[in-house]
This record gives sequence, structure tokens and C-alpha cells, in this order.
Amino acid sequence: MRQHTQVALLAALISATAGAQDVSVYSTTMAQMYQQNVPGFDKANLLPATEYLAIDATKLGSDRLSLHLYGWGYTDLQDQSTIGGKTAGNLTYGYLQYNFDQANAVIKAGRFTVNQGAGNEQVDGVSARTDLVNGFYVSAFAGTPVIFKNLDSYPQFDLAFQRNITFGARLAWRIPKMGELAVSYLQDGTATPSLNVNDPVDYTRRQMGVDLKLSPWSMLDISGRTLFDLAKHDNLLPGTDTSNIAEHDYSATLKPLDSLSFTGSFVERNFYAYYAGSTLPNLFDMNEKGLFRATGLSATWAPLSGFQIVADVKRTDREEYGTATRAGADLRYNFTKAHVLTGFGYHKINAFNVIQVDARVPSYSISHAEWRAWAMVESGKLSATIDAIRLHYSAAATNPFLYGKAFETQLVGSVGYQAATSFKVSGDLSVEDTPLYQKQVMGILKLEYRFGFSFKGGK
Amino acid sequence: MFRKFALLAVALGLGLLSACALVSPEASFAPTHPQELPQGRPTCSECHGTERVKSTQKQFAAFDHTPTFVKNHKFAANQDPGTCAACHAPAFCSDCHGGKTAMLPSVKLADRPDREMPHRGNYLTMHRIDGKVDPTSCFKCHGRANNEKCSACHK
Repeated sequence: MRQHTQVALLAALISATAGAQDVSVYSTTMAQMYQQNVPGFDKANLLPATEYLAIDATKLGSDRLSLHLYGWGYTDLQDQSTIGGKTAGNLTYGYLQYNFDQANAVIKAGRFTVNQGAGNEQVDGVSARTDLVNGFYVSAFAGTPVIFKNLDSYPQFDLAFQRNITFGARLAWRIPKMGELAVSYLQDGTATPSLNVNDPVDYTRRQMGVDLKLSPWSMLDISGRTLFDLAKHDNLLPGTDTSNIAEHDYSATLKPLDSLSFTGSFVERNFYAYYAGSTLPNLFDMNEKGLFRATGLSATWAPLSGFQIVADVKRTDREEYGTATRAGADLRYNFTKAHVLTGFGYHKINAFNVIQVDARVPSYSISHAEWRAWAMVESGKLSATIDAIRLHYSAAATNPFLYGKAFETQLVGSVGYQAATSFKVSGDLSVEDTPLYQKQVMGILKLEYRFGFSFKGGK
Repeated sequence: MFRKFALLAVALGLGLLSACALVSPEASFAPTHPQELPQGRPTCSECHGTERVKSTQKQFAAFDHTPTFVKNHKFAANQDPGTCAACHAPAFCSDCHGGKTAMLPSVKLADRPDREMPHRGNYLTMHRIDGKVDPTSCFKCHGRANNEKCSACHK
């Protein structure tokens, strides 16, 4: 969509909120201050100012009609802080929604994100869902994918994979006292004509998903999905061995006690099928034939009120690169009376032989350890937080991306003052010492406003 | 020609009536939780016990915000967005799932270390390691975003 059309649409949508009976506005204004010092680049003094704005306007003429908007814009007050220019903005979503008082039926129109079994898409279009009889429900969407256009100075070849329309549907069956089973489908349209792309390969996505959530007993919960790639891939040479199964992603949780639960997980992804439809093929190579597999186990134990410990281990295998194991634990303790919440975590990642990364360094270790400690405290209108992260890389001497540095540290402190129910001012100070940035100090001043009648917001 | 259109109109009308007959007659789930919840991760089953969420056939315990639920919340968001919306405004999702973001979620919400945030710390160094171990986890957010920041180096 052209920029002036977006601005006109946004203005029309915002003006529509004037007719709403309940309007909630969430605004966050942030000013960051830091000096960037990256090896090989000029030093830069950065002062970007960013505004996030969200509006939820309900009861627009009808109790069931609502408008939802969320976007951001920033401008650099000193040196340019990111690629693309000193100002930028984005409308993340902006849609009208009608909720029917029967069958959980909903219709949306505008820009929104679709999240269904097959399909996690940001589109400009329409969507609808409704419950059916006998425990079935159906949802569907269609629209134009939101294009994140590359800079003019960069090659536009990524857009060869951008399609002019995408659509999908999901049919689910809710089984009483058991859970839910669903099947979903997603398909792209043809290449966007205005891009004038003459590519002999058809990258149109055709995906089918199966997802489930089963809980036959309260102590057992199984969730997951399988994603199939149904595209023809006529460009493949005869006899090429690829799987049509893009992804298996499943987890099962067993809860023998209220205070104790165990979760096992399994993930398998075939790159060729999983990367179908990527708009960033130079990073996610759609011709890669590798396989990724991960298996994990975690235990959550809450022996005391406010205290929780999660121990976890996960093994990952990537065919071309090797095996890694991540194991560790996270603790949380809530000192309720003192309004203090604390956490501590430690994880060790063993990955001794990552292979074929660079012809000069064919194999090196990416093993490392992670420590994290954090705390939050509230006292009346004042609040404060601290968050410390420390990484220790095992083979800094052989990993060409660590510049010989074995440690990475980041410390973030924040102090806030809730001046009124709807207004908070806070300041963050971050100090970090990393292989890439060496030493960097960043300050952030943040102003938050929340106006409205709704108490939603996701705390 | 007129007969064809008439037949088509009758068929469409009958199809629409059949579809309407398939729609559930039950009332919709409450759009907003009737009581304000305290700060922190809620345990729905503390108040609701073993009751089932009427519109989903699942126990309220399935929505307890345990560490496992937080990690796997994609399944609940996929299947029961209406239940999420009873407490969360849409902007809550966009803190992380923005498609195109102005800054890292962990920088924007640096004063909320209790929340699970992707890419805490200075992630530029770490992404070269995580990308080797599991690039498919990057794809979930960046694979369809055509992110110009990625393209700056990954040409």
C-alpha cells in the first residue's frame, strides 16, 4: 500500500474513534542516548526518539463494533541510528472488528496478524471465524501480505518471493473433556505484477497444518502441530530427496502434583519445506536440504508460595553443523510483603564442533555459559529494577566472531515514578561490554501514558 | 441465461441457509474478564478450579500462566485468541510480535526483567551462535518479514 494511502487510511481510522463510547490510549515516548563504537565503523553519537501509540476504541455506534490501532515512529535527533534513514514508522495493525453475541463469531477488516495452524501472516485484508454446531469452529482470512520493502540501494530480489495475495482457513473440532483437533490450509497468490519479476521458479506456498491440544486428564496436556509443504516445486531435479513435512512441533506436560510438573518437547524441521515462502531467501535458503531436530525435557517445581524453580535440558541436532546441548535452571522468588520479585538463571551450552563454517576455520567450538540475575522492587509510587547478564565463551581464541574476547556482560538498571494512575516516567541505564561493541553505555528516558476506561493492557 | 442465474441464486441462498443452520446457537465468551487481575502471571485454576472454559472445552488450568505455558503460548494464541483477549489488549502481543519493530523488545521493556523477552543482552554477538545451532527459530519471526536490518549483512 502506498504511503499517502496509508496516512489517509490511518487518519480516517483515528477520526472514527471520536464516535466511540470507550477509548483506551496507550502511549510510550522513549528517548535513547548512546555512543556506538563498532570495530571497522565510525563512532556515532545516537539520540533516537521513538513514539509507540496504541488505541482501542469500543462501542463504535454498536456495542459489538471496535477499532484497534498500533504503530510507532522514530526520528534521529543526532547521527543516523539504523539503516534506511533518520526517520521511520510502521503501522503494526489497524482494523475494525465486529464481535457477534452468538457463536463467538468475529469479523475483522484492515491490517492485522493472522495466527493459525498453517499461517502466521501480517496482512491487509479480512478475516472471520465462528463456532459451529457439535463442537466445530471455522476461521478464514484473505488479504495482501504486508511488504517490508528493502532499501532502494539494496537489490530488490527478495521481493521476487512476495505474492499479491495470501489466504487460508482452519477447521477445528472441540471434543468435550478431551481437547481440540484442527486442520488448516494456507496458499499464496501469484507474484506481485508491479514488481516485474521474471523468475522461472514458482515459489507459491501451499501449506497444510494439523494442530492439536489434548487433555484427557487434568494431569496431562499434549499440544503440537505438524506442517506440510504441498507446493509442487517443479524446479527440483528428478530424484531429489526432500520431505514434504516442514515441521513437527509437540510438547507434553505431566503434572503429578500441583507443585510439580514435567514437560517433554520434540521439534523437527526440514529446511527445504519449512523455508518455503521466505521473503528473506538470502538468509533462509529455500534450496537448503538440511534437517533440524530438538528434544527437550524440563521440570517445574514450586515447593513454596512465591518460589519456583525450572530445570531444563535440550539437545539440538543440525545435520550440516553438528550437535548442541543446553542445560540449566531458572529460579524465581516473590517476596510478596516486601513487593520484591527476584530471579536467577544459569545455563551451559555445549557445542564443541561446529563444522564447515569458514574455509579458513573449518571447525570451532561455540560452547558457552549464561548467567542471569534480576530483581524488581516497588515502594509506593517508586519502582526499580536491575538485570545482570554474563556470558562466558569457551573458545574465544578460535571463534573468529569473538575477536578473542571470552566474556560478555550487560547490566541494566531502571528507576520509575508513577506520577499519576495514567502517567509514569522512568529512566534506564544500560552498561555493556561485548566482543562486538566493546564498551557501550546507553541511557533511556521513557514516558508512559495510559488513558481510558478499559483495564486491559497485559501487565 | 436468466434460468442459470436464478438456479445459481437459489443454490447460493440454500447454501447460505444451510451454513447459518450450522452456526452454533450458544452465546459468545465474555469479551472482558469481569474482575481486574493482580500483577504477575495469573493462575486461572486458583479461582476456577477444575471448571472448563465453556467455549473451548478446555479446563481453566490449560490457561494457567506456568513457565511451560509462557514458552508454548503460541498454541493457546492460535486456538483460543478470544480467551487471551479477555485480559490482554492486542498491543500486548505487539510488544514482541510486531513484524517490524523500532527497537528490540528487551530494550523497550528493559524495566520488566520478569517478562520472557527474545534477545536479551546484546544479541548481535549471540545471534551468530544461535543461528548456527537453530536457524529455524529465527525464521519464525524474521523469515517472512523481509527485514532490511538482516539484509544489510546477509546479502
